[in-house]
Amino acid sequence: MEQDAQLVQQCLQGDGSAWEELVRRHSRRIFNICYRFTGNRTEAEDLSQDVFLRVYRTLASYRSAHGGFATWMTSVTRNLLIDHYRRTKRDRVTDSLDDKMPVVENKESSGRRPDEQALLGELSAQVQNALTHLSPELREAVILRDLQQLEYSEIQAVLAVPEGTVKSRINRGRIELARILQHMGVRPS
Amino acid sequence: MNWTCEQTELLLTDYLDGLLTADEQRAFDLHVNSCERCTPLVSSVVHTMSSLRALPELETPPRLVYNILDATLGPRDKVTGWAAFLAWVRGFASPKFAYGAVSVAATFLMVLTVSGSINWKKPRLADLAPSNIYRNTNRQAHLAYARGTKYVSDLRVVYEIQSRLRQDNDLPTNRENATPESKPQPGRTDGSGPAAPRQQNRANDVSSQLQVLAEEVPLLSGKLSLVSSGRLDFITGGKLGFAIGGKLGVR
Repeated sequence: MEQDAQLVQQCLQGDGSAWEELVRRHSRRIFNICYRFTGNRTEAEDLSQDVFLRVYRTLASYRSAHGGFATWMTSVTRNLLIDHYRRTKRDRVTDSLDDKMPVVENKESSGRRPDEQALLGELSAQVQNALTHLSPELREAVILRDLQQLEYSEIQAVLAVPEGTVKSRINRGRIELARILQHMGVRPS
Repeated sequence: MNWTCEQTELLLTDYLDGLLTADEQRAFDLHVNSCERCTPLVSSVVHTMSSLRALPELETPPRLVYNILDATLGPRDKVTGWAAFLAWVRGFASPKFAYGAVSVAATFLMVLTVSGSINWKKPRLADLAPSNIYRNTNRQAHLAYARGTKYVSDLRVVYEIQSRLRQDNDLPTNRENATPESKPQPGRTDGSGPAAPRQQNRANDVSSQLQVLAEEVPLLSGKLSLVSSGRLDFITGGKLGFAIGGKLGVR
């Protein structure tokens, strides 16, 4: 965290290599948040680039006293993701859940058992698919807590809502996600 | 403490985080264990959480960092000269390229070894010439084919001899055993009559079969003629098959 603050200071003094270091340190995390939120690699890549562009332009407004650089970046990412969600909301085709969700193949009737890796891959795809069916406010809360493993206080800072709201959103998000997965045929083994 | 399904849903995250009081936790457990609605809910939420945490972290797309740096710092100066060469060479150090290169080299070496193109005791540069590799590979393939054909042909001869000798499974294994151990029972109709005349008949039959075989297989004619020239009555069927098989194997 201190290293980030130091790199930010060097960036503000015009040190290009410090900025490059910041980009390398955070690009994977930001890309993963964007991907889990959108479920689309290309969109996630474009959004990650937009996040860094915005961070670069507003770097002077970052104050380390207000929290860690990573939290600040996550906050910028979250705002961009919500903007993107609202912007593309009209464009999205809103099919019913029954039409869009893949249903798990009946293993007994299929006659062959895929190996564990294939099962894991299939489960990952279904969980990702289910995530994109959550409302954006529940989705971001679940992503930050269960995927990014942030503390409640950090999520509170990112979402700018009280901790009670954070907990409530995470709780509702998990229950909703579990129901979506059940609807898709994914059940606890 | 009375616990409801609504409370279970509302406080599920607190329960999973271990933030409930001892009384609340006890009431939660009691309710969930007896509620048909809450039991699957809790287990599916726990399963969902573990599935979420098992999601793999994706690698950053390779061009993302460069695109960001180009968009923020502007296009980088083109590296030329030795620096460009070193940067190019550094690309080969990536694990993906190294694994690929090693497997290609191993495959190439295996092909060279199997084709007999290279004499590893005295390797020569000329061995690597494509025409030499082709010639040696072609030669090895033909040799392997010829050996295979010869082996199959030998096996056919041996199996043919053995199958003809086994046609009569009553043949005694040696001359001492030629006499049946037990006398034939009166009224017996299974064809197991007196041994000596039948043995002689069979010996004549086998002898004639071997003569036919010897004509078909000229290489064996010398060895088979010994067997078929009246000495067959001293050699049992099994031993004959073994003797011929052994000779063929040696040859």
